[in-house]
Formats: sequence, structure tokens, C-alpha cells
Amino acid sequence: MRNSQKVLAVMTAVMTLTGLAACGNAGNAGNAGDADKAELVFWGWDTGHTMSDLIKDFQKANPGITVKFNNTGTASDTQTALSNAIAAGKGAPDVVMLEDPTVTQFAVTGDLVDLSQFGADKLADDFSAGPWNKLQYNGKPYALPIDSGPEMFFYNDAVFKKAGVDGTQIKTWDDYYEAAKKVRAIGSYMTNNSGSSMEYQPFTAQAWQAGAQPWKVDGENLTIDMTKDAGMKKYIEFQQKLIDEDLIDTKTANWSDDWNRELNDGTIASLTIGGWMPVNLMNGAPDQAGNWRVAQLPQWEEGDEASAEDGGSALAVVSQSKQQAAAYKFVEYLTHGEGAKTMADTGTFPSLKSILTSDDFTDPTTEANKKVNDYFGGQNVNEVLSEAAQRKVSEFSYLPYNPFAQSSFGDQISKAYNKEITLEEAFANYGKALAEHGTQQGYTVSNKG
Amino acid sequence: MSNASNVAAAGPGERERDARKAERRRRRRVARDERAERARAARSGFANVANPRRSGLLTLVCAVFAVYCLFPFFYLLVNATKTQADFTSTFGLGLGRTFALWDNIRTVFTYDGGIFGRWFLNTVLYVVAGAGGATLLAIMGGYGLAKFRFPGRRAVFAVIIGAISVPGIALAVPQFLLFAKLNLTNTPWAMIIPSLVSTFGLYLMWIFSDQAVPTELLEAARVDGAGEFRTFFQVSLPLLAPGIVTTALFAIVATWNNYFLPLIMLKDSDWYPLTIGLNQWKDQASTAGGQAIQNLVITGSLVTIVPLVIAFLCLQRYWQSGLAAGAVKE
Amino acid sequence: MTQAASNVAAPLHTPVEQVRVNRHRADWRGWKFVWPFALVFVFVFVIPIMYAVYISFFQQRMIGGTRFVGFDNYARLLHDRQFWSAVGRVALFTVVQVPVMLFLAAAMALALDSMKLHGTRFFRISTFLPYAVPAVVSTLIWGFMYGAKYGLVGSFNGFFGTHLDVLAPGVLLASIGNIVTWEFTGYNMLIFYSSLSTIPHSLYEAASIDGASEWQIVRAIKLPELRGSLAITVIFSIIGSFQLFNEPSIMQNMVPGNAISTYYTPNMYAYNLSFSGNQSNYAAALAIAMAVITMAIAYVVQLRSMKEQMR
Repeated sequence: MRNSQKVLAVMTAVMTLTGLAACGNAGNAGNAGDADKAELVFWGWDTGHTMSDLIKDFQKANPGITVKFNNTGTASDTQTALSNAIAAGKGAPDVVMLEDPTVTQFAVTGDLVDLSQFGADKLADDFSAGPWNKLQYNGKPYALPIDSGPEMFFYNDAVFKKAGVDGTQIKTWDDYYEAAKKVRAIGSYMTNNSGSSMEYQPFTAQAWQAGAQPWKVDGENLTIDMTKDAGMKKYIEFQQKLIDEDLIDTKTANWSDDWNRELNDGTIASLTIGGWMPVNLMNGAPDQAGNWRVAQLPQWEEGDEASAEDGGSALAVVSQSKQQAAAYKFVEYLTHGEGAKTMADTGTFPSLKSILTSDDFTDPTTEANKKVNDYFGGQNVNEVLSEAAQRKVSEFSYLPYNPFAQSSFGDQISKAYNKEITLEEAFANYGKALAEHGTQQGYTVSNKG
Repeated sequence: MSNASNVAAAGPGERERDARKAERRRRRRVARDERAERARAARSGFANVANPRRSGLLTLVCAVFAVYCLFPFFYLLVNATKTQADFTSTFGLGLGRTFALWDNIRTVFTYDGGIFGRWFLNTVLYVVAGAGGATLLAIMGGYGLAKFRFPGRRAVFAVIIGAISVPGIALAVPQFLLFAKLNLTNTPWAMIIPSLVSTFGLYLMWIFSDQAVPTELLEAARVDGAGEFRTFFQVSLPLLAPGIVTTALFAIVATWNNYFLPLIMLKDSDWYPLTIGLNQWKDQASTAGGQAIQNLVITGSLVTIVPLVIAFLCLQRYWQSGLAAGAVKE
Repeated sequence: MTQAASNVAAPLHTPVEQVRVNRHRADWRGWKFVWPFALVFVFVFVIPIMYAVYISFFQQRMIGGTRFVGFDNYARLLHDRQFWSAVGRVALFTVVQVPVMLFLAAAMALALDSMKLHGTRFFRISTFLPYAVPAVVSTLIWGFMYGAKYGLVGSFNGFFGTHLDVLAPGVLLASIGNIVTWEFTGYNMLIFYSSLSTIPHSLYEAASIDGASEWQIVRAIKLPELRGSLAITVIFSIIGSFQLFNEPSIMQNMVPGNAISTYYTPNMYAYNLSFSGNQSNYAAALAIAMAVITMAIAYVVQLRSMKEQMR
């Protein structure tokens, strides 16, 4: 009897805790705080150690505000940490770095602050359309882009030359396909794709460029169409051809150790990936210095100039913060103000039009540019990238539960790259899994196939 | 057989004579046994329990296993001498074009404002407080469970087995929420408190106490009027030495290598332990625009292992003394 | 033998014990030693588990908030193919890997304890050393070596003209098993070894004088002594295998063709459900179910003998 009483007492304690946990996010009214005096906490990841310099500069310009940066690991680690802090109802940072497609997930649940109250909506025209559009929810900005990643075509000119391919003449995906056959003939692969979750971003970018709209979001209504959509059809058909004819390396996933080594020894001859790739190439494939080139994405129709976004991250202000005005000041500084320039100088691919079009950005004589251009055989890399960033992008929406979409992508799609099923079947299964998850999350989902 | 003669014995003088005779017989038998033992030992190679004949074949078999155990370390060591460029482009077991071990070690400790040193100290703190405490709690708990019959004792076993069967991953979120409520996340306590529980250590100590501490000895101490804690510290603790060393070693390694707990609990890089820091460095390579520093990850891993090796070398002396303690006991 | 010895000694002391261990007046002295552990244990394990049980009866949704669903999460689990495939995989893993590892560990412990090795200290530390390596690091190292293109396996293939691929889906689980065996053999060896070192030396001397051979000593003295440690190592190894997580999740990106799915093991599935799937409630139900399954298996395999041990 005494035992059961004890159990009851503990249970009550647990319930109390749960009850506390349940009332996580109150409204964010009255949490603006003092815009000039604050001690901010900032979660994110760092590409080298540029963050500490940036923060120093910011603190110098805003003497009343201090910023504590915590490197929270990868994008998914950071997102996990944020979810946990939100569940606990406290401990979240003031400012958080998120991958662009994840922003909506937190905006839907009211855990991020609508930045238009600080005037962020007026900055729309200052940013490239691609990254900006990804950060809107209900027509309001919930984060500002810190970088962007226009999808580019990178190729190893030495390998191409050996295979008798002229990289500058690859204008369409048909050209790409013909080139792939020649590259395969000398033992290399045009590119890699294993259908893992690491290839989710390139998938969305390439489907996006093909004009696909696999997901449509209208408030609580979702439409999923993975296989019947015209753009998706184009994409699936093309990829299936590459798989069937053994033109791509289906064993190697992006970001794996093998991937870097294959880029380094010329096994992988080209990549379609975000415009932030040069730094990674220089690091991961040092032996190919002077051989890589960058070009605009091949087009589906000759003469088109369709582009798409791959990757990109953004800064948001968390609803839990009691210092939102100061937090926004920091966000603005890093994305739109002085800090954005510093970041661009250290290799982050900017999303700010003023930087993209500035002479500095494409000036081949600056030290940073010279280093990159040397690796790319003297090509003016930023000129090519800047052109891509200013191209038009069609409308594309991610699912509000993007992290799930990304992790289950690998489970479903890899089966097709493993040649167990066709890519169309894989995408149909994928659509089913996504629809089921959406329903469980309370959305009204119509799955068209 | 010798008992038969005892039955026949009668009278005190006779008995004395018989005893002397028996003693002589016994001595003879011992001498004979020893001779036979020496002969047998010469044949089988098992000369003396304290110092047996070494076996070349057994050593060879174990050497094969040792190669298996040590091979990855060799790989780690070789690759710690390489630059990032050499790491991705040269043969795994061969040296790189430049010998960069010292450079790598220096960079590990200076990279990002020398944060590695801070992580190192944090880890030491967690090990001393967490693993030290865990060992103490496990010794006390295991001893209490082995040597006392108290209400609830049987339940302890079932409750613990049940609790550790729950996947730790799924407990991470509730644990995090609980600690967050108490404002303990992002503090060293979030690392230390959970590290205090070493269920495996508790079981080890339970078994060791059961086997290594004779109940008679405790009774004797109690009869002498010693309190329970004095008995524990003065009588039992010395007998438990080998078990304690094993438990401590496990607790140290578990805390030193703990990865999942700090990943969830700590979001302040000033309080990270080495594992989280290293993993962060590893992930940097797969960040868009990030700088791959696998050479630092590998060298950092090497640096992380070294203190554990030293700890092990220091602690292993105690197994010898443990052996001695065991011998004294009987 | 030690047990036998203490059993012989026991009757002498029974009267004293009976006076002290009075059935009618509970003896609470044991708690003096156990409460610090129990307190922390309740805080770190018991309360969070109760919380997990509690949330497993709810469902949290992005639209529509949280609602009570009773046993729905458990019912869903029954029909979840991904879950059962994960359970099957770790069960297979357990059946093969645990015996291999424990056999190696026991053999090595006996070899070290026999004192017949040249350089016992060297072997003792080299066997244990792998356990000192963080799982993140050891998986990385083995992953690098496994590579069929650039790893040592690749070099081997190049040299001998073979086509080995230890990361192919068919043998992947065995390769992961190898990593786990490498990591934990030393750990288990040490448990066996330190339990052997509690055997009083005089026992060997007596046995040796009685003319017992080396093997007879192993069989009659050492193996019975190992039984206690074997019981706990088996239970902990089973629990460990059922919670397999670190090695496969770190290897996920090193394995060609996404052979390690997000539901490769139950723990990975739980992790992905709760952290990228926004389904912590379902993950909690999964965790509770796994605990029940693990306990059932542990009980069938070994718990009975372990309970005897703990009498």
C-alpha cells in the first residue's frame, strides 16, 4: 500500500512536469525587449571560424549587445536541439540558424517570430528570389537568408577533354546525356547519385528546375504528386535513363569519404550542386587543382534560363526570446548589413543582390577570388555564379515537414538506384509515405500518385 | 584408507605413536606427490601455479588476436601523420607525402581559438566527478545488495533490468525535459548526474562483493563493535580492489566516450566534451562551404585515446594486488 | 568451488545470521548503502521512463495539437513492417554476434589468467584497448578500412585481383558485427578476467598438489567461477545488441547505395521518428515495446540463472 502511494506521488510529479511542458510557446507579444541592450544566444553551425570575427564586429557596432555563439553541429543537430528546447518551454536561443526548407516547420507551430513586425518584409527586393521565397509562410518572412545556393554545373575539364567532351557546349540535358556516354567510355562516371538522403537537396533542385511541383501547400491542405506531375515525369524519365545505361555512379553518396576521393581522382567527372561548392571542391579534391570548371545548369529546352536553389540557410528569431528586437538587429546585421559582406568575403555564397552585383564580388584581383579562380583554371567563378543567382526561378514549395521528407527520401528512392525497383515506383512509394505522414500530422492530404 | 587404522587405535600411548606414524606417512605422501607433480608438470608444461611454464603456441594464437585488436590503431596512427590532402589521396597504410603529425597535433590544440583544450578539460571534469561518483555509488550499492537482506532488495534487480532495457535514445527527450525544468541543461550537472549511474558497475560490485567478502569476516568485525560503515571501509573495501578497479575503468571509459547524452543536453560549446567536439569537426566536412579537417579529426581521436591508455596502464597494477588480496582471503 | 567452500562454511554461521536477519523485524541496514545509487537512478531513469510511458498514450500533430489516443500508438506498432524488420535484424545480429564475442572474450581471459603467455601485460592491454576508443572514432576507422574502392579492402582487391565488398547489403550486418566485436571483446574479457582473479590462489595450489591437470583446473575451478560473470555479460550484451545505434548510424553515409535505412535498427527508427519525424509519442511507444521485448528475451535466455546468482 505504501508503495502504491509512492508511485502515485511520483506519477503526480511527472504529470506536473508534463503539464508544464505542454504550455511551451505563449504568444510573442511584449517580448521585443530593449533593442540596444541585450545578451543574445545564437545557435548555428560554422564553416570555419568566421563566426567569432563577425560577432566581434557586431558587438563593436552595438556596444550594448553581446552575442554568445554556440556551434550546435550540423543543420539537423541544430534543428533537433531547437525542437527539444521548444518542447521544454525554455532554453531556446534568441537567434537560430536553420536550413531554408526547415523554417516553415517551425513557423507553422508558432515557434519563430514573424519578422515583418521589425520591417523585414521591406527587404524582399534586396535578396535573390530563390532563397527569399523559401522563407515565407502565409506571405510573411520568418527568417532572412544568410546564403544561397543557385544550382550549378561543375565539371572536371581534364576528364572531359580525355573523353572528347567540350564542357562549354553542354547546354541542354540531352547534351549532358551524350557527354555522359563518352565519359563512361573512358571509365569515369558523369556524376554520382545513390538516391540517399544526401541527394535529397540536389533532387529538389533539379526537379524544381524542371518546373516540377511535387508538393503544394495551401494552409492545412497538402497536395502530393510525385509521379504524374509533368516536371516530375521529365525528371524521373531522365534519371531512369542514366541508371539503366550505367552512366552514373549509384554506389557513392554525396558528402561521403568516397565521394571526396572520387572527385579527387577524377572518377566523378561532374556535379550539379549549389554554388557554394567551390570551397568544398578545393578542400576535398586538392589534386584536381586547375581542372574544375563551373557553368550554368543544362536546360530542358534549348535557350531557357531556368535556375533552382540547392541548400541555403537562414537566420530566424525564436518566439521564446525575450530580446527579439535586439535579436533581429543581429539577424539583420549578418544577412543584410555589414556582416553579410564579411561572410561573402570568406566564401559564403551571398543571397544579397547588392553583393552579387557589386564589382568587388566578381573582381578577379581580390585575394579570395584569386585563390578560387586559380583552382578553376583561371575562370572568373563568381561571375558565373552571380549570373545564375540572378536568373528567374519558378515557384516551388517544400513540405512543412521537410526533415521527414529528407530522411525518408533515402529509404524509398535508393531502392531505384539500387535497381530493385523503377524510379517511378520508388517515387510512388515515397509519395505514399509522405501522404501518410502528413495525415498523421493532421493535414488534409490528397495524393495524386 | 588411513582412517581405518584410527578406528582400531586404543589407549593414549598408542594414540600418540599412531599420530607420529601418521605424520610420517603424510610427509612421505607429500614428498611423493611433489615428485609426481614435478614429473607431471614437466610433461604438461604446467610447472607451478605461481610461475607456470610459458607456452609458445598459446602466445602465438593470442598474438593473432592482438594484431586484430591493434591493427586499427596502427591505421589511426599512420593517418594521423598525414595532411588533409594526403589523407584523401594516399594509400591508407602508407605514409603521406609530408609527415605532418606534429603539425596536426599543434593545429588540434590551436584550431578555433584552442577550443580543443577546453573540451579536454571538460571531459576530465566529467570523468573525475561523474565516473568517480559512479564508482563510489556502485561499490556501495553492490555491497549493500550482496551483503544485506533488506526489504525491496529483490525488486531492485528487476527494476534495473527493466529500466536499462528501454532504448536510451528514446529516453533522451524525457531526460532532457526533466533537466531543462530544473535549469540543469547547459551546465556540467547535465553531464555529471546521469554519469553517476553505472548499472553495470552495480552488478559487477554485487557479484564481486558476494564472492570476495566473506560474511564471517563481517560478522567478526560487527562482533568487535565496528559500525556498518567502518566495517565497509576497513574490512570490505580492500577485498574488493580488483572489482573496484574494473568498475572504475568501465565508468571512466563510459563517461569519456559518452556521446549521445551531451549531444542532447549541452548546447554551449564551452561545456562540450571531446566526443561532441570531434564529431562537430567531422561534420564540418559535410557542411556546404565547410572546410574538411579530417586530419584534425583523426589526430584529435588519437589524442583522445591516449589518456585512457595511460589510465589503463596505471590501473592495471591493481589486478596484481587484487590477486594477492584474493590469496590472503582464504 | 568457492561457492562450494562457502556453502560448507555457511552452517557454522547460520544461528548468528538468523538472529540478525529477523523475518518479523525488517532489516533496513542495506539501504544505507543502496540509497545514493537508487536516488540518482530514479531521477535519471525511472522518472523519464514514466514520462515516456505517459506520452506514449498521446499523439502530437503539427495541425490540431496534442490529443489522447489510448493504445493507438501500440496498435500501430503491431502492423508496422519497418519496426518488425528492424527487430528481426537486431535479433539475428544478437544470435550471431553475442556468442562469438563472449567466446573470444572468455578464451582470452582464460589465456591471460593461465599465466602461460609471454608478455601477459601486453596482451591484456591490447585486448582491452579497442574499448577505449569512442564509437564515433572506431566506426570511422573501420569504415575507412572497409571501403571497397579506397579502403584497405580496395587495396587488397587491387593487389590480389579479388572483388571483395564487405559493405554489400548481404554482408553488411556481419561487418557491423565485426566492429562491435572489436569494440567490446576487451570489455567482456576484462569482466571475465577480473572475476577469475578473485579466485584464491591457494585453490590452484591445492588442486595442483592433488594432481589436477591444467584442463581440469579450468573446468573445475575457472569455468564455474565465470558462470556469474557470464550471466551478466550475456544479459548486458543482449540489451546492447538490441539497442544497436552508433555503429550503423555513423556508417550510414559510408555505405554504398543507402543500404542502412532510417529504420535499420529499432533504436535508429526511434531516433528518426522522434528527431526528424516529429513523432516522439510513437517513438516512446516503440521504446516501451522494445523494452518489453528485450526483457522477455533476456529473461528466457539468462535471467533465471542471474537471479539465482543474486539470490
